[in-house]
Amino acid sequence: MIDAGGLYERYKELQSYVGWTEEDARRVAATATLLEPYLYALIEDFYAEIERHPNARKVITGGAEQIARLKGTLTQWIRDLLSGAYDTTYVTRRWKVGLRHVEIGLEQVYTNVALSRLRTGLVQSLHESWRGAGRDLKETVRSLDKLLDLDLAIIEDAYQAEYAARLQRTERLATLGQVAGGVAHELRNPLNVVKTSVYYLVNARNPTDDKKTEHLRRIERNVELADGVITALSNFARLPLPEMRPIDLESMMREVLELNPPGDRIEVVLNSPPGLPGGLGDASQLRIALGNLVRNARDAMTQGGRLEISLRSEADRVVIEVADSGTGMDEAELVRIMEPLYTTKTRGLGLGLAITRSIIDKNQGTIQVESQSGRGSTFTVRLFAAPVEGDQ
Amino acid sequence: MTDESARILVVDDDVDICHNLTDILSDLGYHVDLAHDGHSALKLLHQSRYDVALLDYKMPGMDGLTLYREIRKRHAGTVALLVTAYASSATAEAALSAGAWKVVAKPVDFGALLQFVEQAIHQPLLLVVDDDRDLCANLWDLFRDQGYRVGLAHDVSEASEQILDSRHRIVLIDMRIPGATGSDVFRMVRETDPRARTILITGYRAEMDPLIDQMVAEGADAVCYKPFDMPQLLAKLGELARPHAEEAGQNPG
Ligand code: HEM
Repeated sequence: MIDAGGLYERYKELQSYVGWTEEDARRVAATATLLEPYLYALIEDFYAEIERHPNARKVITGGAEQIARLKGTLTQWIRDLLSGAYDTTYVTRRWKVGLRHVEIGLEQVYTNVALSRLRTGLVQSLHESWRGAGRDLKETVRSLDKLLDLDLAIIEDAYQAEYAARLQRTERLATLGQVAGGVAHELRNPLNVVKTSVYYLVNARNPTDDKKTEHLRRIERNVELADGVITALSNFARLPLPEMRPIDLESMMREVLELNPPGDRIEVVLNSPPGLPGGLGDASQLRIALGNLVRNARDAMTQGGRLEISLRSEADRVVIEVADSGTGMDEAELVRIMEPLYTTKTRGLGLGLAITRSIIDKNQGTIQVESQSGRGSTFTVRLFAAPVEGDQ
Repeated sequence: MTDESARILVVDDDVDICHNLTDILSDLGYHVDLAHDGHSALKLLHQSRYDVALLDYKMPGMDGLTLYREIRKRHAGTVALLVTAYASSATAEAALSAGAWKVVAKPVDFGALLQFVEQAIHQPLLLVVDDDRDLCANLWDLFRDQGYRVGLAHDVSEASEQILDSRHRIVLIDMRIPGATGSDVFRMVRETDPRARTILITGYRAEMDPLIDQMVAEGADAVCYKPFDMPQLLAKLGELARPHAEEAGQNPG
């Protein structure tokens, strides 16, 4: 899970930032024997302080036995600190110690203040035991400070990495829950129709032949609806890499309108200027993406209206504008409209526009939406123009 | 006993029959409207909602079955009796498939006809509020088969119209309908028709939708989860459809 090589690289980068040298390492190593007699008292003080802070104390759940073990590991931690060898093994072990504290649920402030207290204790002990020149003491304390700063940086890093990972895990779980809820709801509607039709066919007192056929047809239609929910979900989950080819946009839009008829109450206008260059993309994917836009426009105009699709070229792009005169959206809806699982409709998973956006993204295009509540919405898709034959 | 508020529509191109029926039914205390052809009948539907429609099958212009199909599209809760002189089994079957309740042969036995009307009016009136038209069609078939009258509303405006127009025994409300939430419709029922019992319909489980608990606390009678457990739902309907104690006391028998 952790990449020891990467950690060590980072540690070396931080070392150069604080100006750490081999000289620093030698100075710190020289203090090991001087400080050894003080370790017992330093560690007693460390745990006595923890006892005074309930929020820190609460993570020690193993009683006296655990404290005894911790005193041992902390002693070893200080001996490693003063060992003079700051290699990959050292860095990895330090990082794991940081991680261990996240796991037990210790707030980060406590490792910070605990290290600060340890630092004060170590420096005091050094002053007491120092027999050499005062200038050398000052240099040694400075080296020790740098080393402790580096250790603190590693602990902090471990905290951050673990927090980020945890947040991602909970977010993923939340999304999963949301998807499961949405799918459950969408599947239960057709299942409910199937179940009630079957109940009718089995239990009705005098169903006529016409009635029986009607219910069988209804079952068939709703099985297809349920299948559509699953297709939409898997389309979204696994979108293959697009095969980018030149596309005649006008004939593609006509096909899209044929596959997704907007209905009698909607006037459809398709504007396509002569000499429009082709677009570049995967036609089968873009048909899905643009089909969603057309259906969306239709659903926004249940009382009828006007659907205007305009094609034009713009520098090295081709532009497809899909404008409806429907209900439109307010600001709050507009920012969320392309999020997966967001929907303002009573039926549907809320994946349509999310699928559209992810298809357009994969086809190296962009999509924008403008809308006015009560006036309608305009979706603007930009794709790369296909290179004209004979061009370099 | 006669429910004075019951409204009956009589449509027959034979003017004499029409007037006779109207006289008899009015005399019994029903409110009766009459029309002599399909198109004028449809105009009446703009102003009124009928509990029962007595329709002559063979009329010039629009026949009685076509007229019933139009009535059902607008007011699914109307119970239809088709009167026909040519009771071929094919016409009868087509009428029953379309949802008509009875096909009555001419010449009409008035005694039997009045009994049917009385029976129809005493079928408890339900309202299903759900935008899923397939489900509505199924519930209509199933509940009719159990002897309920069934009104349908696919959105909030259809629901509010019917809640204002008619007194329902039970209203079934989907939690997600266009233009409103289930709780809006639920509160509308509580305010306009406090004696109506309510059943909530949802595809979510309670833990996904806190609104459900809230509405149960406010007095919803039952929650029905999709896909339905039909025997359980029908049992619940039977229990809730029984007339309220005070009502039964006022009208013994
Ligand atoms: C900078 C200060 C600290 C250092 C250098 C330090 C050092 C260590 C070390 C080396 C371990 C063993 C890790 C392993 O290999 O599993 C450890 C574990 C632990 N530390 Fe600390 N610690 C510090 C602060 C604290 C504080 C303030 C608390 C507060 C209660 C604390 C509580 C614990 C606990 C509960 C464990 C887990 C012990 C177990 O595995 O049973 N530590 N610490």
